[in-house]
Amino acid sequence: MKLELNVNGKVHSVDINPGEMLLDVLRRLGYKSVRRSCDNASCGNCTVLVDGKPILSCTTFAARAAGHKIETVESLAEEGNLHPIQESLLETGGAQCGFCIPGFTLTTKALLEENPEPTEEEIREALNGNLCRCTGYESQIRAILNLVKKRGGLSDD
Amino acid sequence: MLANVKEYFKPTTVQEAFELFNEDRAHSVFLAGGTTVALMKSSSIERIIDLENVGLNTISEKDDNLVVGAMVKIEDFRKNELVRKHYGDFFFNAFSKVASWQLRNMATIGGSIAPKLGWSDVTACLIASDARLIVYDEQGFRNISIDEFNHTPKAEKPLITNVVFTGNGYSYSFKKFSKSTFDIAIINVAIGLKLQRDIIEDARIVVGSRPHFPVRFSVVEKGIRGLKLDNTTASIARNLTYENFEGGSNLLASAEYRQHLASIFVERALLDIREMVL
Repeated sequence: MKLELNVNGKVHSVDINPGEMLLDVLRRLGYKSVRRSCDNASCGNCTVLVDGKPILSCTTFAARAAGHKIETVESLAEEGNLHPIQESLLETGGAQCGFCIPGFTLTTKALLEENPEPTEEEIREALNGNLCRCTGYESQIRAILNLVKKRGGLSDD
Repeated sequence: MLANVKEYFKPTTVQEAFELFNEDRAHSVFLAGGTTVALMKSSSIERIIDLENVGLNTISEKDDNLVVGAMVKIEDFRKNELVRKHYGDFFFNAFSKVASWQLRNMATIGGSIAPKLGWSDVTACLIASDARLIVYDEQGFRNISIDEFNHTPKAEKPLITNVVFTGNGYSYSFKKFSKSTFDIAIINVAIGLKLQRDIIEDARIVVGSRPHFPVRFSVVEKGIRGLKLDNTTASIARNLTYENFEGGSNLLASAEYRQHLASIFVERALLDIREMVL
């Protein structure tokens, strides 16, 4: 079936299998930041934003995504400059092997848009669906807290 | 990917959706949030009936009831102001323990009930709140219980269109034990209590993920009706749950482990309600 997908503001006209998942179609379109990992809704590596909300592309039918705005990490860097969330992750060593980072970054982006000053508990709750096998999560949580503080939120108390 | 899907429909009315499904039930599936359907990996599914555009994504008040469209997402439901008006923080807190933020942005209220998943935290809470279903089939729209829906043969299953909550002054608590909130429950317990001062006038005690479908433990409910909500009553409920537990073993846990957890959680959930209300 033919489908129009709006990815990062660009409309793609694609031929898909009606039973195909969004993950497969995005990767075929060249959005390789969208990771294939567990393929069964368990790891969060395939997270993308649909209308600003984080969802798992491995278990979202591509046909369902038509008519919605899809965002991947490719949309974040502007003119070669990393997004502040990405910068902060680099500063704290939150990206080690880096495989899970696109998913982490997008979930964090959605969180900060919904709640610009999340507490550590709220950050951990929002990110509990993004698994990382390198960091133990501490450096990633610190990256988000640092960013919130840089923006003037949350006191050091 | 569901390799054998040949047709993907996006009907715009409930009637149209049901007719499309009913034309070829053996090869059709309704698509709500998609999290269950996508993981089916079934070769028999050839037709997907996507319910996104049939108008079942609103939450409204009707008389004293809360009417929730079957396509409302779990995350939208738990954060909805009307839901919080009727249920305080119960669903907000309980459903924060359901899967991950991503999955709650996908999974729907109706889609959590329809597949009859034994471990569904959502279903356990809906049974404890005595929620009923509006369904649609050849007979039109009907109001039935979750139990009635589950006992309808597969060949006659109607389409769930709404979940109806009747406001009736109960207090609630939900407990879940799993390796992480992301993982499915090893056991879950949802309790609704109607109190007259500190006396238990009515109780709904639901234990799910046994690993079977959540059910009310009527022996425990009867055993604590009329009693004062205190430590002694909570202990009675714990012992009754233990003695009357029916569950099984699987890779997650043994039946004995679940029996122990269920009894402790029933006790703790009752004490939580006492803490909240009294």
